[in-house]
Amino acid sequence: MIKKITLILIMLFTVNSFSQTATVDTQVVTSEKNSPSIVVERGPYLQTGTPTSVIVKWRTDIATESVVNYGRVLGALTKKETNRALTTEHEVALSGLTPNTKYYFNIGNLTEVLSESVSGDMYVITAPNPGTDQFVRAWIIGDPGTANAFQRQVRDAYYNYVDTTATNTGKTDMMLFLGDNAYSTGTDEEYQSAFFDIYDEMFKKSVAWSCLGNHDAYSADSATQSGPYYDIFTFPKEAEAGGTPSGTEAYFSFDYANIHVISLDSHHTSRAIGDPMYNWALSDIQNTKQDWIVVLFHHPAYSKGSHDSDIEDRLIEMRENFMPMLEANGVDLVLNGHSHSYERSYFINGHHGLANTFSLEEITKGGNTVGANGKGDGKEDGDGAYQKADTDPEGAVYITTGSAGHVSGGELNHQAMYISLNKLGSCVMEIEDDGKGGQNMVIKFIRETGEIDDYFTINKTGVTSIANTNEPKSESGKVHYVAGSDLLTITVDRNERLKKVKIYNNIGKLVKKSRKKTINVGKMPKGMYAIEITTKNGTYIESVTIE
Amino acid sequence: MQNGIKKTLFIVTFSLLSAQVFGHGDLTKRINEKTREISESPKDFRLYYERGLLYQQHIEYTKAHEDYLKSKSLGNTDKALQYRIAEVNYLAGDYNAALKSITAYLEVNGSSDVKAKKLEAQILFELGAYKKSLYAYRYVIDTMKDLRPEDILEYCDIILAENDKNQEVALEAIESGLKLLGPNTLSLQLRKLDYLKNSGQIEKALEQYNYFILEYDRREFWYYKKAMYLAEMKRPKEAIISLKLATATIDRLDMKFKNMNAILKLKEQIKSLEAQLK
Repeated sequence: MIKKITLILIMLFTVNSFSQTATVDTQVVTSEKNSPSIVVERGPYLQTGTPTSVIVKWRTDIATESVVNYGRVLGALTKKETNRALTTEHEVALSGLTPNTKYYFNIGNLTEVLSESVSGDMYVITAPNPGTDQFVRAWIIGDPGTANAFQRQVRDAYYNYVDTTATNTGKTDMMLFLGDNAYSTGTDEEYQSAFFDIYDEMFKKSVAWSCLGNHDAYSADSATQSGPYYDIFTFPKEAEAGGTPSGTEAYFSFDYANIHVISLDSHHTSRAIGDPMYNWALSDIQNTKQDWIVVLFHHPAYSKGSHDSDIEDRLIEMRENFMPMLEANGVDLVLNGHSHSYERSYFINGHHGLANTFSLEEITKGGNTVGANGKGDGKEDGDGAYQKADTDPEGAVYITTGSAGHVSGGELNHQAMYISLNKLGSCVMEIEDDGKGGQNMVIKFIRETGEIDDYFTINKTGVTSIANTNEPKSESGKVHYVAGSDLLTITVDRNERLKKVKIYNNIGKLVKKSRKKTINVGKMPKGMYAIEITTKNGTYIESVTIE
Repeated sequence: MQNGIKKTLFIVTFSLLSAQVFGHGDLTKRINEKTREISESPKDFRLYYERGLLYQQHIEYTKAHEDYLKSKSLGNTDKALQYRIAEVNYLAGDYNAALKSITAYLEVNGSSDVKAKKLEAQILFELGAYKKSLYAYRYVIDTMKDLRPEDILEYCDIILAENDKNQEVALEAIESGLKLLGPNTLSLQLRKLDYLKNSGQIEKALEQYNYFILEYDRREFWYYKKAMYLAEMKRPKEAIISLKLATATIDRLDMKFKNMNAILKLKEQIKSLEAQLK
């Protein structure tokens, strides 16, 4: 008998070591040893995950200290982070972590552990370093917050998918919420029943990110960054997780592996070109070197579901103002909610007009779709994956997926959409090697029944960012530098006497002058320089990188 | 904020003329539902308040205002209603009525309500009472728990509206904003650059460009922007150096970035500016 129990325990431990989505009935054993006197009412849940840090949040019924014990081995949580201030709203930042590493944790106060998982289902896997080319899975959940059976069915269908999928079983690197997380007005109580009570198990092992939905905004105020939405979430304002500092939690970005994710506020914040959110998004997207760019915001740029992107101002403004800028800078995937349906576009670019002006037959200015497969289904086993090559980095897929809690119909006939479904479900995004030096971004729409009603692939070649170390050819042919060498050589024609050479650093500051044709640059800091060469025939300016 | 007045007037006019065209999805349904509830309970002040909120979101400010007043006449004494009356007056461009409402609100509820103080400052700004507006907004800056960059920028707008020579004061506000929100908050650093340029502080403006160049991973856009400014300042050689650095930075980019439309456009702009400077 004892042997049987031991065997079961070992099996449970083994299963849970590889699974993030154990269901309450079978695998999760979140123990509350010795019946703690203080009850954890919410969480723990994970916020702002980076390669070296994560924030753990939870709520207790009575104000107490905040303690997180953590470590790489389940039975030996040797590290501890403590906040002695008494509070019911606990927020503890763990830092100094190793990238891409699993840390088990529990939470408590100075005297006891208040919540733990003896089976190992409370953990964080730190983000990989930016640029890392590896498998990533994100669960995408739009407009879920009904707290009803539909929402649970959609959740369970994903849990079942991730626990039974053949590759990377049980792995969910992040949850991307597309807003309207708690109906009908995003109050704290509604968040408890429609958000925390629903996704509790996943929140303990996967970092949750979100953008603001209109229903969240009924009780949240972006102008003062107050209300339940802003209290519940802790997002990076100072680019703690990568990207550009926005100074606000209303819009922000983060890096995960080789993906750059941008979250915009399409509800409260001004959507005008030249206003702060636009300027920030422009600088942010033009500063990333990541292979994949995913953008999320609540109001869909393209929809003919329960909301119409032809006539609703927020939707029009996001499409007309933001899409041209995001597309010009390489966005791959745009995720929206708001319409309670699933609408997925072709592989498109440069169409920012009304639904009826989109045409698969349009070919001027490159057409509305991109590439030979752009107007196909995007399925590897169908018309072929959408292609994004180094030489032709245009094209994005737009998905309105706001049916994780209910469906609301609509005409569902937007011409930019390959498929439009009035069905419950959520999406999963998986990025994986294509076996040819590139990567595939595979998106699946998982119905509440578990059926996959749509899927497609964006294939991208040359994903591994290798710094271009080839020194561009000198325009005038007068500057010669071999990487690693101490000497910079200036060559002038026989009848062209060298008068002087000036070297400027990467901010245009003069750092060296010479009259010689061979200049020792061995002691100069590595970096990019501009070389001004003056001969009796004229002045030439070239650039060189000293390595 | 002057543009804000025009924008508001435009929105009001446009929404009156074309309310049917500019829909707000389920708001219309919710308004209809609330109207049905009102027909069943016409004396329920809560329903008028709720429909007023919906009308306000639907940019139907006149109807929202009517519903708020009806709610008040039926006995709604909630302070939230008072605030909304002030807010909808402000949004509709009736600033005198808005000021009256928000003043009454602040008298009753105390002057420590930061959201109301912000609205008061915005109303005073529209009325041209810049000193009073500044005073009210200062309170917001000093008191608000989670300031946004937009708040700091709005405060700076008021500073300069009060006296357009106060670039230094606006710069100080930006600096204190950077301390509060983080030293690299983009929109504040961008505004700092604008003020330095507008106040003719050329060297400091160039330092600010250098800040962006050094702070960012991808520098090509910043080199070009700096070159544009140098060209404007009649410093062609420095502009050319900056353009060379921009080109060199692009040359070293990964192929996928080099072929993006934004970079292709930038290369054309660099070429064009270089031609102008030669």
